[in-house]
Amino acid sequence: MDQFLQALASGLLLGGFYAVMVLGFSIIWGVMGVINLAHGEFLMIGAYAAWALFRAFGLDPFASLVIILPVMFVVGYALQTILLNRVVERPHLMALLVTFGVSISLANLYKVLYSADPRSVPVSYNGSFELFGVTMPIVKTIIFFLALLIMGLLHLFLHHTRLGKSIRAAAQNKDAARIVGIEIHKVYAITAGICIALTAGAGAMLSPTQAIFPFMGPPFTLKAFTITALGGLGRIPGALLGGLLLGVTELMVATYVPGIGTNLGVAVSFVLLVIILIVRPQGLLGGLRPMEVE
Amino acid sequence: MSALTQTARPSLLRRWGGLALWLLLLLLLAIYPYTGVTGSTLFTATQVFVLVTLASNWNLIGGMTGYVDFGHAVFFGLGAYSMGILVTRVPLAFSPELSFWQALPLAGLVAALFALIIGLPTLRLKGPYFSIAMLGTFVAMREIIRILRPITGGGTGLDLPPVLNRVNEYYFMLGLMGLVVALIWWIRRSEFGYTLIAIREDEIGAEMRGINTTVHKIIAFMIAAFFTGIVGAFWAWQNTYIDPDVVFIEQRTVEMVMMSMLGGLGTVWGPPLGAVVIYFLQDVVWGNLLNFHLMALGILLILLVLFLPEGILGSLGDPSSTSLGRLLRRAGRGRE
Repeated sequence: MDQFLQALASGLLLGGFYAVMVLGFSIIWGVMGVINLAHGEFLMIGAYAAWALFRAFGLDPFASLVIILPVMFVVGYALQTILLNRVVERPHLMALLVTFGVSISLANLYKVLYSADPRSVPVSYNGSFELFGVTMPIVKTIIFFLALLIMGLLHLFLHHTRLGKSIRAAAQNKDAARIVGIEIHKVYAITAGICIALTAGAGAMLSPTQAIFPFMGPPFTLKAFTITALGGLGRIPGALLGGLLLGVTELMVATYVPGIGTNLGVAVSFVLLVIILIVRPQGLLGGLRPMEVE
Repeated sequence: MSALTQTARPSLLRRWGGLALWLLLLLLLAIYPYTGVTGSTLFTATQVFVLVTLASNWNLIGGMTGYVDFGHAVFFGLGAYSMGILVTRVPLAFSPELSFWQALPLAGLVAALFALIIGLPTLRLKGPYFSIAMLGTFVAMREIIRILRPITGGGTGLDLPPVLNRVNEYYFMLGLMGLVVALIWWIRRSEFGYTLIAIREDEIGAEMRGINTTVHKIIAFMIAAFFTGIVGAFWAWQNTYIDPDVVFIEQRTVEMVMMSMLGGLGTVWGPPLGAVVIYFLQDVVWGNLLNFHLMALGILLILLVLFLPEGILGSLGDPSSTSLGRLLRRAGRGRE
């Protein structure tokens, strides 16, 4: 029972991180129909940025979000303006190939810059506390609540600001949005900016909990896809539900299936993804249909 | 796309000229080892044949059918591991030389069977699900191979007995490449090939004409997987050592995508041309860049999509179909 509770708690904490990690992927897909295969690489960039700031100035990875988020917003905005806006209205194959190219170039650029050696961010509060007999790592608990906060803020932004509403309008009906005077490509660029910033921010938050290396990205891209298939396109509640589901499943498999370590999230996600595609090709919550951002 | 889908009946030369040239080239390549070249030259040529074969196979599903496979190297890996496991773990034959020929078709079949298993859920769906599922398959398979230590040797890998020599390898790959390219040439002209192109151009339209698109997609995928598996099996034997990190490398998929893209997606001669060009670019130019060369490959892919989406051959057919072609023409007009 203790073992079960521990797995459940760890799974939920992991799931909270997954939920915030997937938002950028899911919203870009939901709003402009682009599957960002470089998603994991932007997470990797965020993690490296946190590591570099920690090493150079001793800056806490959570505090470094103040720098990383705005910088990566500009990167995302530029990426959309320079590359993705050129392919966004062409067959989806083109956007896939472009983001695949971005993914390969970034991973290998970072390999050249920082070598393939794994890096870590050893924060001082890297311990854990007990709650009802369950061990809760402090950093992961912070990530979990920060993730909930970010999701809440994003929800408010999308529903109660003019800009947020125009993003949702662009997702619902591109042409109608154009007619009412929304500059689609500018809205796309802002969306990409927010999404890339969120993704890199998730990477920075992740940095104290796992090794950072140039090729850490692809498993996260795969997990992001699985969660999106579980929870739906561009839906914040769906991302939370899908993230928690994946987190708990991973931890349960790691706890109860013998001979499999904790590093097997990739295989779990993959099997889960294939099962979803077989059983419910439209996504678990009907979410893989193109739809509005909630 | 107009150059690819023309329906007018071409002349005899246009119909058979390509294949005739191909057979002539194969014949020339077949007498090449007798001109006193060194083993390392033959090895280089064999590597080029491997790339041409891989790119042509990828093109069948990625270029002709339009379902971009970002994890095609998984079939290469499955082929290599099938060969490794069959040769080292199963007492299949009395002599190692014999077991190579016995394991080879089995390795291809394992890859094709796996393609069927992955294709059934993912190719039923239209759109990008297949691409991302294949990326996942690739990443997951590397982990799974690493975990199945009792069978696959895990991270330590498997050693195969060295049997082939450079000349044997050369002729084997020459034959396989000749076969695969001729097969693609034939498919491109067959009803099956036209159906694949129809799926790429307008899948719903093809469905309305009564085509079972899922079956066609899965068959194309299985053929591509079968031959990729055979190349992987050959590679395992040639390399005499396999482990997850030398077999399952992203670069292999990237190269297949790049070569098809550079030569011209969905064309018969594009991927072979792209493979040769990229091989020599890597060898001559990027050899000096070393660490940067995969990065350069990624950037080249982006530039190709933006400026030369039809590839070299597609652009030769209809220059106005690409940004680069239009740019060149505009530049030419400016000079007049």
